[in-house]
Amino acid sequence: MEISRDDFVIAIRSAFLKKGNQQKFSLLGLIFFSIIFLILGSYNFKVINLVKISIKEIVYRSSYIVSGPEKIIEDNFNRITNHINHYTSYQLIEKELKKLKSKDLSKQIITLENIRYKKLVDDYFIKNNEIVAKVLIDKNSPFLKSVVVNKGSKNNIKLGMAVLDDEYLIGKVVEVNFFTSRILLLSDINSKIPVSISPNDIQAIMSGDGKENGTLQYIQGADLKNDNDEMIVVTSGAGGLFKSGILVGKIKATENTTTNSLKVDIYKDLTQLKYVKVTSFSKEVTVLDQTSKKELKKMDAQILEVTKKEENLRILLEEKKIATEVRQNIEKENSQLKNKLFNLQTKLVDLEQSVQVQIKQEEEIKFLRLNLLYGHKCRKTIFNKLYKVGTPKYKNCVLQKGKYR
Amino acid sequence: MNGLRKNYISSVLFKYFPLILLFVSIMNDFNFNDLELRYFSFNFSYILIFYYTLKRREALGYVSLFVAGLFNDVIIGLPMGISSLLFLLLCGLASYLRNITLTPNLFKDWIFFLITLLILNSLSYISLVLIFEYDIDHMNSIVNTFFTFIFYFFFTYIFHFIENFFIGFRNAE
Repeated sequence: MEISRDDFVIAIRSAFLKKGNQQKFSLLGLIFFSIIFLILGSYNFKVINLVKISIKEIVYRSSYIVSGPEKIIEDNFNRITNHINHYTSYQLIEKELKKLKSKDLSKQIITLENIRYKKLVDDYFIKNNEIVAKVLIDKNSPFLKSVVVNKGSKNNIKLGMAVLDDEYLIGKVVEVNFFTSRILLLSDINSKIPVSISPNDIQAIMSGDGKENGTLQYIQGADLKNDNDEMIVVTSGAGGLFKSGILVGKIKATENTTTNSLKVDIYKDLTQLKYVKVTSFSKEVTVLDQTSKKELKKMDAQILEVTKKEENLRILLEEKKIATEVRQNIEKENSQLKNKLFNLQTKLVDLEQSVQVQIKQEEEIKFLRLNLLYGHKCRKTIFNKLYKVGTPKYKNCVLQKGKYR
Repeated sequence: MNGLRKNYISSVLFKYFPLILLFVSIMNDFNFNDLELRYFSFNFSYILIFYYTLKRREALGYVSLFVAGLFNDVIIGLPMGISSLLFLLLCGLASYLRNITLTPNLFKDWIFFLITLLILNSLSYISLVLIFEYDIDHMNSIVNTFFTFIFYFFFTYIFHFIENFFIGFRNAE
């Protein structure tokens, strides 16, 4: 016991006190030093704080260098991951593109059909004059919401022309000078635009609220209940000033549709206008012209072609469906016939075997019967040299009624 | 001349490899102690120090361990000196094991490493929570101790392989 305690003390002393080769400090000394460092650090000792700051400076800078290779690896890994992700998204986009292409085709058909029907009811307007103008004055008066643009009668601008920003209606021309024009914005209280509210196609008049939005008038009693999030307000085309279907604004889902004056959120910010398009619309009067006829024919041909393609596609799909069904039926019948054939073959083999057995039995009976009658004529005795019983020659002799020699 | 230079480089590498590895593992952004996995982390420095103190004590100087501990504290954000204390204690306990062992045995080393880990982590937990008022998730500490213990076995083979590689390389020259 004494010896083992001595060993323990010696081992501990050797481990903690003895300085190894090339060691300048003993382990215990450094342990004490770190404890002192810890205690003084917790009391914010000035020298320790200075040491801390210098160590931090060294560590942060060298950590950046040491982390270099890892950062390179990480960057490359991220790059590879990005490439893989790009490839996956590319495949998804390709699929989406295919879907969109097919949708676009049907949309083209609908557009062409729409144009054709509009022409039939004589409601097809085309832009016959589009002038791009720059907004010169945008004075935000509380009494009049209007802007002045740098195009006037010199540029064929006329009273009542529609003014668009992109494809959104923002107002109409109310004053034309030689070089300039005034545009009354949709938000002005005097602006009255005939509009249609989608999707229920309710007709109304939109007036400005004198600030930034519009209000709907003359919709009393109209059923505006809608499950969609928001309703879209477009020009109705009534009055023939604007063509129908120009986007104006939206009615938010949060709006109370039971009130008499609904607020319309105009798509464009009317305080941020810079360039506008002044446009007039006219009916397509050249319907009966030769070129229009050609165009119409061409359009018809296009519709017909697309419809034909669709029809062909449908027929092909039907044919494919029928062919698949027929193939499945044939395969089914084939398997049934195979089963039947197998069963018949098995039966035939059984029958053949039973026939063979019967023939053998018959032969045996015939032999036994003849043996009773003619056996003595063929049997070998000590007096004759006939055949031994049981041999094939004896059997032949019996079958030939004793005449076999 | 070329052979001499190669020999010199390999001997320097052999000598300072554990030290370089220790400092790189401490100063790298990639931290084994925080792998962003809920129940997986291990203390690579402990494994390295314990292994090399047993195998080749002169490879990791006491002063280097002290400095490495200070660096570790700065990187992790612990009170300065606590990692140094733990590293040095680990080194001392490993030296004690080496002194009392005549024939080294991996299994015995492994078990002793577990005891050492439990002592060090308890010490660290007590000092950080009770003295420095740090919030430490004890579950994370337990997981860390467990995986450090488990991984010691694998890293022993890896370090052994590397040591043999260096020795083989030097002998070949």
